[in-house]
Amino acid sequence: MDDALILVEDLCRYYEVGGETVRALDGVSFAIERGEWVAIVGQSGSGKSTLMNLIGCLDTPSSGSYRLNGADVQGLADDALADLRNKEIGFVFQTFQLLPRATALANVELPLVYRGVSRRERRDRAEAALAAVGLTNRMHHRPNELSGGQRQRVAIARALVGEPSLLLADEPTGNLDSSTGEEIIRLFDDLHRRGHTILLVTHEPRLAARCPRAIRLTDGRVVGDGPGAEVATLTAARVVHA
Amino acid sequence: MTALLDTIAMALGTLRANVLRSVLTLLGIVIGASTVVAMMSLTEGFRLKLTSDFAALGAGAFQVQKWPALQFGPHDHRKYERRPDLTREQGEALRELPHVAYVSIEEWARRPEALATRDRTTKQNISVCGALPDYERANGVDIALGRFLSHTDVQLGRRVIVIGADVQDILFPGQDPLGQEVRVRGVPFEVIGVAEREGSLLGQSKDGWAVVPWTAYERALGKVRNNNIAVVATTPDDAPRALEEVVAKLRRIRGLAPHEESDFEIFSNDTSAQLFDNLAKMVGAATFGVCALALLVGGIGVMNIMLVSVTERTREIGIRMALGARRRRILSQFLVESVFLSALGGLVGVLLGAGLALGAREIWQVPASIPAWAVIVSLASAGGAGLLFGIYPAARASKLDPVEAMRTE
Repeated sequence: MDDALILVEDLCRYYEVGGETVRALDGVSFAIERGEWVAIVGQSGSGKSTLMNLIGCLDTPSSGSYRLNGADVQGLADDALADLRNKEIGFVFQTFQLLPRATALANVELPLVYRGVSRRERRDRAEAALAAVGLTNRMHHRPNELSGGQRQRVAIARALVGEPSLLLADEPTGNLDSSTGEEIIRLFDDLHRRGHTILLVTHEPRLAARCPRAIRLTDGRVVGDGPGAEVATLTAARVVHA
Repeated sequence: MTALLDTIAMALGTLRANVLRSVLTLLGIVIGASTVVAMMSLTEGFRLKLTSDFAALGAGAFQVQKWPALQFGPHDHRKYERRPDLTREQGEALRELPHVAYVSIEEWARRPEALATRDRTTKQNISVCGALPDYERANGVDIALGRFLSHTDVQLGRRVIVIGADVQDILFPGQDPLGQEVRVRGVPFEVIGVAEREGSLLGQSKDGWAVVPWTAYERALGKVRNNNIAVVATTPDDAPRALEEVVAKLRRIRGLAPHEESDFEIFSNDTSAQLFDNLAKMVGAATFGVCALALLVGGIGVMNIMLVSVTERTREIGIRMALGARRRRILSQFLVESVFLSALGGLVGVLLGAGLALGAREIWQVPASIPAWAVIVSLASAGGAGLLFGIYPAARASKLDPVEAMRTE
C-alpha cells in the first residue's frame, strides 16, 4: 500500500450553499497502484467531479487525507498545488480545454512552458507527443481547424508531454461521436498497455465496463469497487432499485 | 529569462489578435505622448535658435532701457510710464566708468518708417535709429559694403545712412547702393554702408533697419526724448563689473535713494535667454499638465480593456492554471501585456509627435529639435501608466479559481 500512486482516506468535501451544507464527498477511501486503469463512475451529482478536482489538485478537501506519489497534498499552498499539477498530472477534459488562438504545437508545449523548459527542448518534446497520437501533419493547425477527435488527441498529447505519473481524464468521449470516442478509448487502452496510470471519470457504465477496475460513487460515497465489468452492471442494477 | 520571453511572446500574441481594439484603447496614451514630444521639440527648437540669435548684442554688451522688453503676468503699465526718461547726458556720464568701453546712445522712432528712393519704396516696417559710432560695437553690426557712421558724421550732422540687408534688397535690388539717395519722411540721406545679413528670429527679419547720425536725426525727424543705451564692457569678462558700475552711476545721477527700486531695466544676452527660459518652463508645465491628463485617460482606457480581456479569457486563465501556471505567473502575464500595450502607445505617440514637430519645421519654417529626454520621459510614463493601471486587472486574473474559470464559456 505504501507505494500506491494515489492513496485516499476518508476524503470529505463539503460546500456551503445558501446556509446549508452539501456533502459532495462523504468519506471516500481507496488506493490506486501505478500502472492501473481505473474508472470513477457515477451519475451527475454523485460527487465524481468533486473527486476528480481533488485528485487533480485543483481543489482541497474539507477533511481526510490524500497522498499523490508519496506527497501529502493536504494543506499545500497554491503554488505547490500548481507545481504538483504541472509535474504529476496530465488532464484530459470533456471540452478539450485547448487555447483557441494557439496552434496544436503551442498548446502541447504549454505544460513545459510553466515548467521552465527551454524553447528548443519544449518544441522537440511537443512534436514527439503529437507524433505519438498521430497528429504529425496537424501540428501547426489551430483547434478550430481540427475535428473533435483530433482536438482530443491534441489534449492527450498535452497531457502526456510532461510525463506525468497520472493521466486524469474527465468524460473524454463526452463531446465525441461514438466511433471517434471508440478511437480515443483505444488510445487510452494503448497508453495503459505501455504502463501509464489512467483515471477515467465517466457517467457511462458501458465505458466503465471496459476498464480493468471501476469505482462507483453514489451521493458522495463509494458503493462499488472491483473489476470494471462487474461494478458497471452491479451499479446499473442498484440504480434501478433505488 | 525563458519565462520572461515566453510572457512577452504571449502578450504580443494577444495584442495581435485584437489589433483594432488595441489601437482604439491606446488613443489616449498616443495623444499624451505625441503632445509632449511635439511641444517639447518645438520649445527646444526655439530655445536652441534663440540662444544663438540672442547673441545679437555684441560680446560683453548690455542694454539699459526705461521699458521692460517682455512682461509676463500682470504688470503695471503706468509704473513704467511715470519713470523719468533716459537722457543723452545720463548716457554720456557712463563713459567715464572704468570698465565701460563704448556707450551707444540710441534714439529710436516710436513707429517704423517707410524708406524710399525715386523709384521704389519699402513698407512701413523699417526701424530707424539716431545713433553714435558706438552703435556698431554695441549691436554687433558687421559691415558688408562701405562703412559705418564716424564721429565726424555725428559732429557735422551729415545726412548719411547705414542700411540693413532688407532695405538694400527692396530699394536697390542688384545695384550698388553706396552714394545713392534714400528718403526718410521725405528727407534725403546718402547711403554710406550696408550691413551683413543677420537672418530672422521667430519668423521676423532682423535686417529691416537703418541708422543715421543722431544729430541729423534730430534735425530732420525730431528729437526722441527717451534713449536706449547700450553699453560695451572693456572685455566680456568685465561685463558684470561694468554692469554694477552702470547701475550705481545711473541710480546716483537719477537721484534714487538706497531703498528705492531702480527706475530702469537692464538686458543682456543672459537676461534675454532667461526670459525665454521662463517662458519655456511655463509651456513645459502646461504640456505636462495635458500629458498627465491624457495619460490618466489613456491609463483608464488600458485598465478597462484589460478587465474586458480578463473576462474574455477567463477560460484560458483556468486552463493555464490547471496546467501548472502559478498565480504570480498569470499576474505577470497580464501586467506585461498591459505595459507592452501602453508602451506601444507611447512609441506610436513619440513617432507621431516627432513627425508633427518635424512637419511643422518643414511647412512653417519654425525651429524644432527633438530632445532625447522627452522621448524617454514619454515612453517611461506610458509604460508606467500601463503598469499602474494594469495591476488591478492582473490581480483579478490571478485570483480566479481554475475550476470555475474553466467552466465559463
